[in-house]
Amino acid sequence: MTAAIAEKGTSAPLAPDGPATPPVRRRRRERAFDEVPRWQIYLPLGLYLLFTLVPFYWMLLFALRPAGSTSLVPWPMTFDHFDKVWNARSFSVFFQNSALVGVCTLICTTLVALAGGYALARFNFRLKQTFMLALLCSQFIPGALMLVPLFQIFKNLQMINSLGSVVIAETVFQLPLSVILISGFIRNVPYSLEEAAWVDGCSRFQAFRIVVLPMLRPGLIAVASFAFVNSWNHFLFALMFLMEQDKQTIPVGLSTLIGADSVDFGALAAGGVISAVPVVIVFAFIQKWLITGFSAGAVKG
Amino acid sequence: MKISRTYRARTVTAVSLSAVLALTATACGDDGSGGSGSEGSGKGEITLWDNNTGERREIWAQIIKDFEKENPDIKVKYVGIPIDQVQAKYDTAIDGGGLPDVGGVGTAYLSNLVVRDVLDPVGDRVQDGALKGKLVPALVDSVKAAGGRGDEMYSVPTSTNNGTLWYRSDMFADAGLEPPATWSTFYEAAEKLTKPGSNQFGYTIRGGAGSIAPAMDAMYGQSGITSFWDGDKTTVNDPRNVAALEKYVALYKKVTPSADVNNDFIKMVAQFDNGSIGMLTHNLASYQDHVKALGPEKFKGLPYPAQENGTRVQVSNPVDGLGLFKGGKNKAAAWKLIEFAASHKSNSAWNESAGSIPANTDAATDGWVRKAVPTATAMKALSDGTTKIVNLPYYLPDWNTISKSGNEPNFQKVLLGDMTAKEFADKLAKELNEAQAEWKEQTKS
Repeated sequence: MTAAIAEKGTSAPLAPDGPATPPVRRRRRERAFDEVPRWQIYLPLGLYLLFTLVPFYWMLLFALRPAGSTSLVPWPMTFDHFDKVWNARSFSVFFQNSALVGVCTLICTTLVALAGGYALARFNFRLKQTFMLALLCSQFIPGALMLVPLFQIFKNLQMINSLGSVVIAETVFQLPLSVILISGFIRNVPYSLEEAAWVDGCSRFQAFRIVVLPMLRPGLIAVASFAFVNSWNHFLFALMFLMEQDKQTIPVGLSTLIGADSVDFGALAAGGVISAVPVVIVFAFIQKWLITGFSAGAVKG
Repeated sequence: MKISRTYRARTVTAVSLSAVLALTATACGDDGSGGSGSEGSGKGEITLWDNNTGERREIWAQIIKDFEKENPDIKVKYVGIPIDQVQAKYDTAIDGGGLPDVGGVGTAYLSNLVVRDVLDPVGDRVQDGALKGKLVPALVDSVKAAGGRGDEMYSVPTSTNNGTLWYRSDMFADAGLEPPATWSTFYEAAEKLTKPGSNQFGYTIRGGAGSIAPAMDAMYGQSGITSFWDGDKTTVNDPRNVAALEKYVALYKKVTPSADVNNDFIKMVAQFDNGSIGMLTHNLASYQDHVKALGPEKFKGLPYPAQENGTRVQVSNPVDGLGLFKGGKNKAAAWKLIEFAASHKSNSAWNESAGSIPANTDAATDGWVRKAVPTATAMKALSDGTTKIVNLPYYLPDWNTISKSGNEPNFQKVLLGDMTAKEFADKLAKELNEAQAEWKEQTKS
């Protein structure tokens, strides 16, 4: 994509001492855009931001204000709810388990998607189109439908009550989309670059590692973050495959805070904050590549 | 481009993979207890599934600690299951394996487990053990009825609940209103406490998940009909019940917030505890939430309103209990845990924590029951002969579907005016009659 943009850029006629002067009509349009009052941009964006942040503020409010308070600001502030969920309700353990499941799913999904995506992008084999179709179709199968077969498979493999079962199940369900996405990215990397690397003495794997892999960064980040966030939030597999309290994950822990007839909103909100923070941090760091990754994969894939 | 792979390499890979799968698939663990379904040695590890972990985890931890202290050879593995997932968890474990030794079982899904033959009958064990004569007879009858196998019981009852009309006593006092003891005072108070201008409403109606049981309470409570069945036909769509339902749903928007159409108990309780709502119909279990949010002085609880002649009719509440699973490897140890949990001390502590009505007769007379006014009032109402209970057909395997996903959306339609109360009641009655006929056919053989 970068190469394509560069070529397009250099094709425009250049003046001897700098870029060509834009046509008058284009300049007027740009000026008109520059002259849009700032409030017309910031007001809608601000309203949208408010709409997005109010639920999060509400969660923070319930998490930080004392039980029974109806104050609209978290003052006096208390961390009792966090203390309760983190220590008494074992969220410290759930957090570690969720992090482990998330990171392992991320690694497994990315590695397998890279291999599968490379095969789909670079090789022609029988039933390739059918395979692609099957990958797409697998997206329509809800996880709940596969629960009993998966349960039996993991039981036979003696993997029930092991975080490994959740990692495998999550990876399997993440893979179709990830493989398709990565194969789109790999297709965008000119094959001639790899061939040039081979001519220079690289093996296929070296050429992939040195030439192709660095160009896949946006795609890899998109796939990895998607895998992490989805597995972090996923509830069903963890609930069904994990039988012990100290193996469970954050979404299951959150669900256990709601009783049949009573609910501790402070604890629930504190659990929600603990659950949301890693996801927010992940997105804050990767948003730049994430947008590039999704748009590039979507358009060129 | 071609992938080259030798035939030998493929064979080696396939054989290796098959070997690994075969080895892992045939390996089996042994914890030293008996085989599946045996009494076992009465020692070792057993698994307990708590069907409503919520706020109960701490009290269960204490009970398990006490149990393990008294039975040092038994270790209990506690697994808390979220209440809204408990049936799915049981269903998956029935189909895929992995049921616990002991599990919390409510009457709402007891028959489903009995029909699938995964629970051991416990009647003889109760008669031969320490629980003989120690369980409240009405609750024993409820679990027997819910099991649907005549006089046999498939769970040991531990607690029940009672529908409660929570009201803001401070708002009632300010408005000069009497406590809503009858249906007429209830409707009058709902209207007088409603001030839409200041966002104050007299009542909050349950329009979302779990709406059918409160609606039935309002129907039977006002109509005075005391039996759910008239022969093989349900009385749900009796004209008196339909008229009562029309009056009840007319409260929506008139004296309730319009958002109530989506109210589940969480939203409903949150509105009552944080907003300006005069009355809420829920059950005893939300008592602690109200205390935490409002303090003990601003609210009070009454049993559901009575008719003008003082007679109160209400629908039966689910009874919670502990089931002994048939496939357990150590049923002797599992039964010890059930007996311990249903004993006076444990049952009392558990119900005090949960704000429920104890199933152990000794626990039911403990001091905390008398001090917890709403619980004591509910127990008095249930035992003083003024309250008639309409037994809901929990024994129908389809009961949960019919009373939840099958008809809750229709109740929302009634609130929104897209369906009449009669159409709603007729559809509900049709499904119930069919389920009853099917159940009778099945149990005949």
